[in-house]
Parts: sequence; C-alpha cells; structure tokens
Amino acid sequence: MAVRPRRTVLAALVATALAATAACGGGTDSASGKTTLVVKTFSQFGYDGLYQEYEAAHPGITIKEENIGKLGDYLPKLQQWMAAGKGAGDVVALEEGILSQFTAKPDQFVNLLDHGAGELKPNFLEWKWKQASTPDGSKVIGLGTDVGAQGMCYRTDLFAKAGLPTDREAVGALWTTWDDYLATGRRFTDAGTGAKFFDTSGGVYQNILMQQGDHTYYDTSNKLVIDSNPGVRKAWDQTVALVGAGLSANIDQYSPQWNAGFKNGAFATIPCPSWMLGTIEKQSGPENKGKWDVARVPGDGAVRGGSFLAVPGQSTHQAEAAELVEFLTSAKGQTAAFKAKNNFPSSPQAIDDPAVRDFTNAYFNDAPVGRIFGDSAKALKPVYLGPDNTPIGDRVANALTAVEQGKLSPDEAWAKAVDDAKRLVK
Amino acid sequence: MAVTDVRPRPAAAPRPSPVPPPRRGFLAHVDAKWSPYLFIAPFFVIFAIFGLFPLAYTGWVSLHEWDLGGAGAFIGLDNYADLFGDPDFWNAVVNTLGMLVLATVPQLLLAMVLASLLNQKLRGLTFLRMGVVLPIVTSVAAVGIVFSQIFDRDAGMVNGILGLFDVAPVDWRADKWSSWTAIATMVNWRWTGYNALIYLAAMQSVPRELYEAATVDGASKVRQFRSITVPMIRPAVVFTVIVSTIAGMQLFTEPLIFGQGGFAISGGSLRQFQTLSMYMFEKAFREFDYGYGSAVAWMIFLLITLLAVVNFLVARRGN
Amino acid sequence: MRGSQPLVYLTLLAGIALSAFPLYWLFVVATRTNDVVGDWPPPLVPGGNLGDNVSRLFSTEDAHFLLGMANSAFASVTVTVAVVFFSSLAGFAFAKLRFRGRDGLLLVILGTMMIPVQMGIIPLYMIMVELAWQNRMQAVIVPSLVSAFGVFLMRQYAERAIPDELIEAAKVDGCSTFRIFWTVVLPALRPGAAVLGLFTFMGTWNEFLWPLAVLEADNPTVQFSLSQLSTTYYTDYTLMFAGALVATVPLLLVFVAFGRQIIGGIMEGAVKA
Repeated sequence: MAVRPRRTVLAALVATALAATAACGGGTDSASGKTTLVVKTFSQFGYDGLYQEYEAAHPGITIKEENIGKLGDYLPKLQQWMAAGKGAGDVVALEEGILSQFTAKPDQFVNLLDHGAGELKPNFLEWKWKQASTPDGSKVIGLGTDVGAQGMCYRTDLFAKAGLPTDREAVGALWTTWDDYLATGRRFTDAGTGAKFFDTSGGVYQNILMQQGDHTYYDTSNKLVIDSNPGVRKAWDQTVALVGAGLSANIDQYSPQWNAGFKNGAFATIPCPSWMLGTIEKQSGPENKGKWDVARVPGDGAVRGGSFLAVPGQSTHQAEAAELVEFLTSAKGQTAAFKAKNNFPSSPQAIDDPAVRDFTNAYFNDAPVGRIFGDSAKALKPVYLGPDNTPIGDRVANALTAVEQGKLSPDEAWAKAVDDAKRLVK
Repeated sequence: MAVTDVRPRPAAAPRPSPVPPPRRGFLAHVDAKWSPYLFIAPFFVIFAIFGLFPLAYTGWVSLHEWDLGGAGAFIGLDNYADLFGDPDFWNAVVNTLGMLVLATVPQLLLAMVLASLLNQKLRGLTFLRMGVVLPIVTSVAAVGIVFSQIFDRDAGMVNGILGLFDVAPVDWRADKWSSWTAIATMVNWRWTGYNALIYLAAMQSVPRELYEAATVDGASKVRQFRSITVPMIRPAVVFTVIVSTIAGMQLFTEPLIFGQGGFAISGGSLRQFQTLSMYMFEKAFREFDYGYGSAVAWMIFLLITLLAVVNFLVARRGN
Repeated sequence: MRGSQPLVYLTLLAGIALSAFPLYWLFVVATRTNDVVGDWPPPLVPGGNLGDNVSRLFSTEDAHFLLGMANSAFASVTVTVAVVFFSSLAGFAFAKLRFRGRDGLLLVILGTMMIPVQMGIIPLYMIMVELAWQNRMQAVIVPSLVSAFGVFLMRQYAERAIPDELIEAAKVDGCSTFRIFWTVVLPALRPGAAVLGLFTFMGTWNEFLWPLAVLEADNPTVQFSLSQLSTTYYTDYTLMFAGALVATVPLLLVFVAFGRQIIGGIMEGAVKA
C-alpha cells in the first residue's frame, strides 16, 4: 500500500478533531460508595434546602437536581428519555397535564404502593392522590407536590373606576356563581373603562370545567364522553356566554401582549392559580403594587396545574428514589417548598400549617392568599382526567379562540371540538 | 475512470530528477482513481453514523404503534393510511406549500437585486454589505418579540399604518392569508441577506473582463446583468432555490414564534398556519404519538425529495 | 453606474435599516428596565440599565451563562473549521473530479438535507446513550462535523469559480490531487468558504433543539443558557435581551472577520487569469 502524505495529513486531521472533542468530556462518575440520585425538574420546585437536609440524614446519598426552566423545553426531553429507555434519572417531576397519559400506561414508572406509599394517602388531598393512581387504584405512579389552587385576581383601580366594590370580601360576594360573574362583567363593561373584563376564554373555561363533577372528557373507564357529559357542555356554554357578552380581551396567555396587559390594565380580572401570582407581580411592576388583589373564584373551588414526583422504571436506585419522593412530598417538604418558591401545597396538613394558612401577599394588598387558595383547593372534589385530557383541552381552547376571533359560530366550534377530540382518540 | 488518467506524463517534463520512476505512474493512477472517494469519505462516514441511523430508525418507528409507553404493536402502514385521511395533515401540507411560495419567490428576487447592488464600487461598501446580513445574527427571542409587536392586532405597527388609510385593523393570526403574509415577511426578513451573500460570492468570481468587453460592445447594465451575471451565477441560483425549498418545507421556527400561547404548536385556533414540521412536533413531542409523528416525518422527507427532484429536472432542462 | 448612485445608496440604506432594526431594538431593551416591555409606542432610545442587566445575567447561577458561551465558542470554532475543510474537499471532488457514482452520491448528499431535523432527536439521543456522550460537548460537535448544505454549496461554487484549465495546468506540473486542492483550489474557493464558514458558525451558535435534548442545564450551550433565563411562568424580558445581546457580541466579531474575507473581493490571481 502506498500511503501518500496527504492521507496521513487527513488522518491526522480527523484524529485531531476527534481527540479535541473527546478531551472536553470528563470521566464517568467515580464509584465512591455513594449513591447519586438524579432528580429531574422543570421551573422551580424550591427543594435545595430539603436536599441538604436529606443528604445529612442519609450519608450514603448524594442528590443532583437537573432542572429545565420551561415546561415546554422539558416535555420533549421527557419523551426522549422514555423512548430511549435511558436518561430519565431517578426521580422525575410530572406536570398534571402529562400525568394522565402515564396513569393509562403505568408500566413506565415504579408503583409507589410497593414502597409503602399506601400509608401516606391521608397526607394528600383526595383528588390529588387519585390523579396519580390508576383508575382501579392498584397502582400509584406519583405523589403530589403543589397544586394550582385558584383564586380570582382583579384590578382594584379598574373596579373603582367602574363603580364596583374593591374590597375582596365584597368582590367575592359579587360572584357566587359564574352567572353572577357574567352579570358583574356586564356592569363593568357598561361603565366603559376601556379595559376588558378578563384576559382570554381558555383560563375561565378550564376553571369552570374543573367544577363540573367527577370527570370531564373521559369517564373512569377511559371512554371518551366529551359530547355526552353535560358538565363539559355546561362549561362550554357558560364560557361562550361570557365571550358573547364581549368580556374577553382575547389575548393569548404567555404572549408578550398578555405579559404587558397586567401592567397596562388591559383586563380587570383573571382566574389566577397560586403560581401565577409571581407572574402578575413581576409583569405588573412595582409601580402597580396594591392595584391587584385576590378574591375567591365563582363556584366551588378550582385548581389549574400542579405537579407530581415519580420514579421512572429505568432508575437503578428505585427504593432509595421512592424514599426521597416520599420525603419531598411530605407535609413538611411541601411547606418548605411553599416557603421557598410559593408552590402551594397539596397536603391538607401543610395547607393548615400556619406558615401556609396565615400567609399574606404584600403586593396584592396583603391578601390572605394562604387562606383563599387553601379553601379553594380543599373545596374541590376529585376529578378524573383520562389519558388524552390535555390534548383534548387544547383543542377545546382553540375552538373557543375561533369563537373569540369570530371565525366560527359557537355551534360550529363545539362540533369541531368534539370532532377533533374523537379523531384524536380514535 | 480512464479519462482522468490520460494526462501528460510528468516524467517527460524536463526535471532534475534523473530517474523517472515507473511507480510514479502507478501512484498517479491510484491517486486519480481513489482521491475523489477519499475526499468525500469524511462526509459519508459521519453521515452513516449520525444521519442514516436516525432516518432508518424513524422509518421503523413509523410502522409501529408507539407512545410514551414505548414500542407497541407492529402495524405496518396503518399510520400512513391514517395520515392520508387526516385533514390536519393535508391542512399542514397546503399551509407549508403556500408559505413556501410566498416566502421563496420574493426572497430570491430581492436577494438577487441586493447582491447586484452590492457588487459594485460604492463608498462604505463594507458597512453596506454587512448591514444587509444582520438578520442572521439577531437572536430568535428578539425576532419573536419585535414581530409580535409589528403584527399585533391591537397596537401593532402594520395595523397602525393601515389605520392611516382607513383600513380596518387586521387580526393577523385569525386568517390564512394574513398569517401566511406575516410569516412570509419574517422568513423573507431573516433570509434575504443570507441569499444575497451567496449570490454576491458567486458574482465576485465572474471575471471582470466579461463586463469590460460587454461595455465596449455597448451593452446596457441591465443587459449585462441578464446575459452575463445570471448565467455565470447559475449554480448559485440553483443552490439557493433547492436549499430554500428544503428549508421552506421544514419551516418551523418562524410560525412557532408567530403563534402564541401554550398551544402555539397548533399554528392558530383553526391551524391557519401550522406547517408540517409543527404538526410532526405536535404529534411526537406534545401528544407523544411517536409512531404517528415518525410517519409525518417520513412524509415530509418524501415530499421534499419529490420537490427537489422537480427542481433539479427543471434546472437541468434549462441548461 | 455613477448616475444611479444616490438611488442605489437609498435602496441599500433602507434595506439595512430594516435589517438592523430588531438588532437595534434588542440593544435598546437590554439597556432598559422591564417596565418598557409592551409599551406602545415601543421604546426607541437606549436607557441606562445595561450594566445592571448584564451583571444580573452573570449572577443568575442556574443559567451558567459564561460556561454556555465558552461551550458554544468551542463547538462553533471546531464545527466551522471541520465543515469548511470537509465541504471544500468534497465540493471540489463533486465539481471537478470524475469518478464512478459521482452523480448518485451527490444525490444522496442532497437527500440527507431533506431529513426533518426535529425527528432525528430521539434516535440520535439513543446513539449518544450508547456512546455515553450525554451531557458532553462532543455529542453536540461530532454529528455536525460535516454538512450536506456545505458540500452542496461548495460544489456549486467550485463549478464556476475554478476553471478546468487551472487544474489541468497543475496536473501537468505533476501535482497530486490533494496538492492541487491545497495549493490551487482552496485559495480560489475562499469567498465561498468564507460564506460557508460564516453560516456554519452562526448556525452552530444558534442551535437550540439538539443541545437542549442531549445536554443538561449545568453544561449548556449559549442558547440553552438563554432559555434557562426564563421559567415556565415568568419571562424577564430585559434579562433575556441582555443575554441575547451579550451572546451576539462574538457573532459580530466573527461576522466582521469573515465579512472582510468576502467583502475584500478576494479575486485570487489564479482565478482572474
């Protein structure tokens, strides 16, 4: 073989390139006799202090949290870890929307009942516990962390301008039911402040829907009942009536316009889960301090969002991971997370803990948010969600937007939502 | 192969080397025969590992029922059969092709004009040439916020200008025509300078003598552009047409930025501007139907191939 | 040409103003406070908060912004050098050398451009798991060392930029094919290579989906870092814009460096001849 110089040059180049790239990676974790538990989270769970405490009590355990800021960035990674059968670590955070897909196929996760979680059932709100259980209750794939307990945030300055009461008890009394909310919205609109009554139909709809009995799009045998469950239709009709009265500003949540809307006073009320208070405060800015307040939501309690911790079946330290999950989701753990990042607890004991119960929010006129959100979460009855709950909810929300945009009549939009849901589930 | 071998024997040249070694001929033969393969080998080696496997694997997945729980039953071409009856898929095909036309044609024409303007002696040339390609260094986050401002329904710049002419404000996301126009604007804004740069690089390799001769013959600037510049940069034009087609078929970022809210991937309340890549991503990564998403991916692949072949044939016929 | 010059300038300046506006606006917001975001009309003059925003950027621990910049710089340089070299090599071979299967192989390369990128993520991740390259920079770098786009661009460019006589002449001189490439072809390809280098650098620097998939937040690329600056529930726009602005500085530097290559009108003597 005649090896010509240029080949060696080329080979050297390739080798250099490969060596250069190989050099930047360190070695694999050295076996120091310690077990490292990898916890995958999104957004902020507020666990740093808890990890330290746990490590101190368990000398053989080291905890490494791998966090992704946005849920939208986290979900594709979760899908990829599941598909590849690797990468999910030992504990994964699951948002309620994705959880319902997993409860229908629980084999990807460790059944926490096998690790003594059964005794912990009283530590969680009943509906929160059921959300992470299989319909027959034989498997529990996750334990609840926070809940998106819902209040109704409103602008006191806009309410005053419209001649409405501004005190939160009086405001809450304005809307015992959603019909009352509609009537109040009409009064507000007639006063001509220039602002709309609420931001978008999607949030309101979701709130009403969760108050309509024990299931929504699916019955507990996972059969699609979107067009036969009167509760869904009722929530839809109620929302369409609100839109029809011209109360919606029709601004998509989390768009730049929505973020700006808090500051500009583009809308006077917004159904606000506990985790949204931080958003409202930061987007409205210090100059609007005291202009926002929180009242109870119409109807009986509500939640939107909330998360769970689960142990993936691919974990090589399942028992240790399950124990960590039980620690982090205990009443004590939830209280600590609430103190750190305002994640509202799903444990009744934590909700009644004075640290939570007596918590007030200075930005919102010292509103007693601990009590408002706690009452809201505890008033809620368990709602069974079913496998494709989130994608179906997305389609219904899109149909409502089409009504807001004037592109479809309410009847056409409803027919489309039902049809889309059926095609999805097929 | 033999053709490249027919070349003057270097040995015949007057060289100081007293012994023209016969091996040289052999080596030259090996060189001519194998060098091309060696030159293209790096691409194929790396591609085989990191490109071919994903393609084949995606094909394999598309033949299965495959959700978050992992591989399910082998279902043959069922996913593809479903796809053909899926109105959301065809909607995405129409949207993608529509935006492709709206974005590609004006973009390439504009790029051509820009490049020819830049390909002359001007004061401050460096500044001017760099200015037009600034969009490619601008971050996607900034692009998103700026354009959502420009096309905002309530307080947007475009609606403000339309208002001056008594035109009612447009809800840009509500209709196909308006959303396609807005997205095509974003695409054109981002990539026109990029293509202009490719044309410019090609124009600079056109020998100046050709233009000088044409000027002597009295040909006008426009005439010179059409009969010298365009033919001479033809390979670059073919390149940009094909690449723009491929990129247009995979359009993802701009419509995703344009769409807002938690379900932006659906491309509007009635999927007014959902592209094929968005539909694939929605299926595979949002609804976790990996099998179906893979089938969409393969359909995109086949559609692009079809379009590229058409492009190629048209380009060849023009030759 | 002289008579139409004012018009040419006007057109170009208008084009540049349009091109540059979002970049300028990025700068404006990065110098302000969060209050201005969403204001109408939007703020058009810089404020005095740049220093504050930038220092907040570097003190946001979870974002690992400096590491992200360093990782991206390393990846972008490596990938750019490799892509330019390998693409020029292969582009030259496809444009100017004759070999069996040439057209077929070129079609294969074209074909690889048609694979939708988002779909490769899961299988590619599986490869990285096998190689134990998760959360390592080589997982981002190695798959990008070659580029179908690059090969195709350089092939199209080489076709006209390198006269056949030039290669023939070099062959007469007894040069090996690689020597011809190195001494004759590569210099002639420089404007094209500069364009490719510029694009590759930008592309690698701006890559988001794949680094997000294979890396973790403690070893990010710059775009991954930027994404980490906001959480699910809250977007701090000025912080994000300050980040985007700082992340643009290296691009501008590269831009100026490569830009000169293209703009200098490097007509190598060989090509002119």
